[in-house]
Amino acid sequence: MQQYKKTQYKLILVLVGLPARGKTHISYKLNRYLNWIGYKSEIFSIKGAQQNNDGFDQKIDYELEIDPANQQFVEVRQQLSQIAAQQLVQFLQNDGDIALYNGLTSTKADRQKLKSLFKETLKLEYQTFWVESICDDPQVILNNFNESKLSRFQDKTIESFTNHINVLAKDYQSLENIENLSYIKLINIGKLVKVHMLEGYLCSKIVSFLLNLHANNRQIYLVRSCQTEYHLLDKIGGDPELSATGRQHSQQLGDYFIEELKGNKNITFFSSQMKRGIQTAEIVGEKLGIKALKTKNLDEIDYGICDGLTVKEIAAKYPKQIKERKANPLEFKYPRGESFLDVIHRVEPIIYEIERSREPVLIIAHVAVLKCLYAYYHCNQISEIPNIDIPINCVIKLVPIPYHCLESRVIIK
Amino acid sequence: MQDCHKSQKIAICMVGLPARGKTYISRKLHRYLNWLGYNCKVFNIGNYRREICGTECDKTFFDSKNEQATKARNECAQMALNDLISFLNSDGEIAIFDGTNTTKQRRNMVQCSLSQQCQNVQTLWIESICDDADVIQNNIRLTKLNNPDYVSMNPEDATKDFLGRIRMYEEVYQKIELDENLSFIKLINIGEDIQIHKVKGYLLSKIISYLMNLHIYPRPIYLTRHGGSTFNQENRVGGDCDLSQQGIQYSEQLGKFLLDEFPTQEKRNQIHCLTSTMKRATQTADIVCNILKINYLQLKTLDEINVGICDGLTYTQIAIQFPEDFAQRKVNKLTYRYPRGESYLDLISRIEPIIYEIERSREPVLVIGHQAILRCLYAYFHRNEISEVPQLEIPIHAIIKLTPAAYYCEEIRIRIDPETGERKQIEEYLQYERVNLLTKKKSYILL
Repeated sequence: MQQYKKTQYKLILVLVGLPARGKTHISYKLNRYLNWIGYKSEIFSIKGAQQNNDGFDQKIDYELEIDPANQQFVEVRQQLSQIAAQQLVQFLQNDGDIALYNGLTSTKADRQKLKSLFKETLKLEYQTFWVESICDDPQVILNNFNESKLSRFQDKTIESFTNHINVLAKDYQSLENIENLSYIKLINIGKLVKVHMLEGYLCSKIVSFLLNLHANNRQIYLVRSCQTEYHLLDKIGGDPELSATGRQHSQQLGDYFIEELKGNKNITFFSSQMKRGIQTAEIVGEKLGIKALKTKNLDEIDYGICDGLTVKEIAAKYPKQIKERKANPLEFKYPRGESFLDVIHRVEPIIYEIERSREPVLIIAHVAVLKCLYAYYHCNQISEIPNIDIPINCVIKLVPIPYHCLESRVIIK
Repeated sequence: MQDCHKSQKIAICMVGLPARGKTYISRKLHRYLNWLGYNCKVFNIGNYRREICGTECDKTFFDSKNEQATKARNECAQMALNDLISFLNSDGEIAIFDGTNTTKQRRNMVQCSLSQQCQNVQTLWIESICDDADVIQNNIRLTKLNNPDYVSMNPEDATKDFLGRIRMYEEVYQKIELDENLSFIKLINIGEDIQIHKVKGYLLSKIISYLMNLHIYPRPIYLTRHGGSTFNQENRVGGDCDLSQQGIQYSEQLGKFLLDEFPTQEKRNQIHCLTSTMKRATQTADIVCNILKINYLQLKTLDEINVGICDGLTYTQIAIQFPEDFAQRKVNKLTYRYPRGESYLDLISRIEPIIYEIERSREPVLVIGHQAILRCLYAYFHRNEISEVPQLEIPIHAIIKLTPAAYYCEEIRIRIDPETGERKQIEEYLQYERVNLLTKKKSYILL
């Protein structure tokens, strides 16, 4: 019986929109989110098709060569788009769950062709959901450029790229109800959103997720609660209070954040509901003049029958469990406790909150929970989670920018 | 997670022609937001109008060219709005303004009044648009004919008059437009099309997600506890034990009962079966779903309340070993949290995703759960107050069938004897009867 996953059929997410409208950014974020919550998801784009295929000139960036007058490039782009669609079908026929398509979809004809391709070649039950990004606010478009395309321009100028887009815009056909497609239109990064024929558990989740996206690059600080006597005794779990050293370190943490946040009181501040989390948050919060929102979702992983034991005691008492955990650390569930997968599920609402927040976010929690949060921003596979290093007395600063995430770590002495 | 998210007040205003489900949406939102712990109230302009102008208003009262009546209606709306503003300025947190608000002028007046007279308020406009004649006819039949306005008329005349009333409104109806610069969500033809504009913030985002999942397809929700377990027999709490012999028998009888409820395999395949990850629940689900030939979904979110250090003890042992805790729990069962465990409030917060799932589902749902969890689920659909949750009666070896209807929830309880399979509808078994004044429906609550 499946836990958490409810797809009886495969899902295809098709992105629609003119260049520089954030399609790639949206596809990356969605792909990251879907993989994190446990689905096998992948993106199929013109760029991807080119990279996997030696038959094409790898020096030309076909995603930027959009000049509609250049017949050669137009043909190559069409070919690559077709190859990407075929690779998508292969992926879903095997063991893929969700596929994101970022190819040529700007006209009704293109979309009908794609629909037919899927219908004829995909021999499984599947659902398609179309995600269109529209921008008519020049400031928004300019920001998009500066964030994502600028770095890829070499000899080309922004001007000619924008001119090409304006030409393409004349033939562009936005999604319409008569095409009978299930879709969401995001206009000016979610200022206005239109949804049509929304159906199914997964699509509802995806729509809720997309509604929270924005373009502000804000910092996310992940911090472990400070030292407790359990640390000194090498015990795991429990609900101990901070030791004297722990309280001292919390003060130092508070000082660090006073400098870092420069008096900004408008931050999103979360802590767990465990004593060490609350105490660390209280000391830091007092220094900053803000109160933390306490949520049980950030509580440490439930160690079940191993709670309160030292590492040596567990090795002696439950050798079978230690073996199981070594074999599959991600899915291993402590008897009467939780697994990392359970923690991911528990922490999902916090991810929504972080995504929604346009201000800096400060989270005070515990090792296993922070591993899961960190993995959302940094890892491509959740199998990496058990190996992530989250040291104590260390502030991990993440700044998500389009296509990746900047990270810096500061050890508080 | 509600502490700091309460800093801003919220005013939710409905927009739409009559019989478009505005009151239905208002009441569902009211239920949901109260459930999350917010102090929420609905201000229905129609109720004010009925009190002030009486209930003998036929469709000409709603003609925009009828100056005297229009003045009276505007006064009623203003009174409702004034009460709403007082509510938000005192200890109210969320207010729902349930009225047609079909003209730009009216909406502008409301928006200005709110921003000028309320401190720090966020407004959300919900417009319900429907042009499906069958749906509208059905709405009228289900909700208007019992309305105090039409109590003395026969159904045919009442429907005719009501359709006339709708036409009066249609003449002056102006849909919300972007240049009004309002935060809004438009629900078109029961969610076939949804438009969302300028919605920001934790609570508004939650409300939007909730609204996108609403529908009016009546579907049954079956709630049952797992079959009796060895711990149940010994009167112990917590643990992860197996089914007792009786428990196994109940599971089989339950399977047979559901075979009769869903006579064809096609109907059975539509059932969403949800259960927890604890052995006694999955064992019950295994047996039942084997008989029905369907799959089930295990969710840790449905696990029984975590009783922390009291796990595995009987109530007597708890009273002896932890007398202070035992006393505290008696005083306030709702907020009491077992040390290293959970409270009922934690549970309510934990099952929120399940409630979304069940709301969204247009097919029958079967939940095989545990006592405390089912108390929370039951209370949500049956519209009990949160304070009643810890005392609700969810008997073992019985199945509760809830069918949410327009303004209330129908309920049938059937006890199934594990050995004989005899099914008996529980009607008279109640120690305390509470009649919901709004819906005239009874609930079963233990003292």
